[in-house]
Amino acid sequence: MISPIVEPSINLRDRCALVGAGTSQLGKVPDVSAIGLLEEAITNALNDAGLTTSDVDGLLLRGPDEIYTFHQVVGERLGIDARFSTTLTNGGASQVMGVALAAMAISSGLASCIVVGYGRDNWSRVHANKENHLRSSGRPQQMYGVEFGPELGYFGAVAAHAFGATRHMHEYGTSRDQFGAIAVAFREHALRNPEAVMKKPLTLDDYRCGRMIVAPFGLFDCSLQTDAAGAVVVTSAERAKDLRQRPVLIKGFGTHNNLTGWYNKDNLTHTGAIEAGQAAYRMAGLGPEDIDFAQIYDCFTYMVLVQLEDYGFCKKGEGGEFVETGALRIDGSLPTNTSGGQLSEAHVEGMLQVVEGVRQLQGVYGPERQVEGAEIGLVSGHGGNTVCESTLILGTA
Amino acid sequence: MSDYAKPLPIPSPESEPFWAGTKKHLLKIQKCNECGETWFPPATLCPNCGSRNHRWIDAAGKGIIHSFVTYHRLYHKGWEGELPYVVAIVELVEGARMLANIVDIEANDVACDMSVQVKFDDVTDEVTIPKFQPT
Repeated sequence: MISPIVEPSINLRDRCALVGAGTSQLGKVPDVSAIGLLEEAITNALNDAGLTTSDVDGLLLRGPDEIYTFHQVVGERLGIDARFSTTLTNGGASQVMGVALAAMAISSGLASCIVVGYGRDNWSRVHANKENHLRSSGRPQQMYGVEFGPELGYFGAVAAHAFGATRHMHEYGTSRDQFGAIAVAFREHALRNPEAVMKKPLTLDDYRCGRMIVAPFGLFDCSLQTDAAGAVVVTSAERAKDLRQRPVLIKGFGTHNNLTGWYNKDNLTHTGAIEAGQAAYRMAGLGPEDIDFAQIYDCFTYMVLVQLEDYGFCKKGEGGEFVETGALRIDGSLPTNTSGGQLSEAHVEGMLQVVEGVRQLQGVYGPERQVEGAEIGLVSGHGGNTVCESTLILGTA
Repeated sequence: MSDYAKPLPIPSPESEPFWAGTKKHLLKIQKCNECGETWFPPATLCPNCGSRNHRWIDAAGKGIIHSFVTYHRLYHKGWEGELPYVVAIVELVEGARMLANIVDIEANDVACDMSVQVKFDDVTDEVTIPKFQPT
């Protein structure tokens, strides 16, 4: 039994703001390391904010998981002594959690200006040798375990997440075409994004014709392998008023990790987004009906569908019908993954979703990409194979 | 020397009794003497109540498929020529869940909540892997 929550001594709603966002080149960038990509994204994020590295006193970073104290390597290269810094290891929930940690650190007086970023050279790693390519992973197998998996032929994130899709289809009658509606909607967004890796239109028929990878997931259910980085800058709401961009307020955040295990209880169909979302909504004083757009962690199509349910945008089991209405399109009732997401823009395990959430609320886009009247957005991070969830609710005022 | 081309499990101190059991065609799982919880994979504490007071039991080897996936893409050369194959989460009648291959059935015919029973596969002289087949 989980203990009751302690009432917070302060409410962190609107205390901190995201004041800059940046990305690196996205796609196949074999001549730049993950650190080099991250430096490019951090530079762009600081430029966006009108700040320099000398303003930064915090680094909450992630890079290739085998680099020991990655933030230390980056801090040395950028010439930053940090009041608050660490390397994050919470899978795809790391980057959103990094923004939450930054807000907590700034609100408690530990730091004043924190960069959250992730640099990833996954395309280069997967294509570095035959063994990696076969396993479709840039990480060594040992990181995933040496028993109760490899001897069964159980490899890769596709299969892990596909377990959830199978159970959801069994319990609620969800169909592959409904997963396809998600892939199609995000590809349409990518076509509006000149930085996006995927440039070709995708129809539902194209989706159906995609080769099977690990059923029920086919090719177009799976996110991209990319070299890319993203970064954002967090500071106090007070300081944010004087900076270059319209501040994007951190209205609420929450995290929840179902560490009892993906295969246990009903976790395949009920993710940590339920509790993480409730915590974020509570802090923000908002509910799903207040959200103008969402950036949902889309490692696989099904994870979008189940998180939409778990964040309360529709009832449990009705995610398939919800996405089929066209709700996720840029002109739909809940524009989602407006940059193309990890399925069609590039995959930096949630970092680019934070960047896109910030940019939508900065209002920097032209009419083809801007969510009309966007004032409140929800950003989710999900991962850790596949039980970790973090949630941000951002707003313009 | 075996020509077995698939990876073999590398037991941990906690899991050695499990692999010693499969070699004797016994499916051993842990059961808490305090609260009755059963669990898998092996651990030193009961995940339900935290007790160290637990024992190994011989599971009946029967259960249902909680969920499953079907590999159509090759991830390891050891499975060359064996696609498609099925990996499932099997919920044992004792309550614990474990990952296992489902065998002796067409991949298309596998379904959630299907009843299955253990079938031991002596893949080498030293290692036996428990698989499951429809009952």
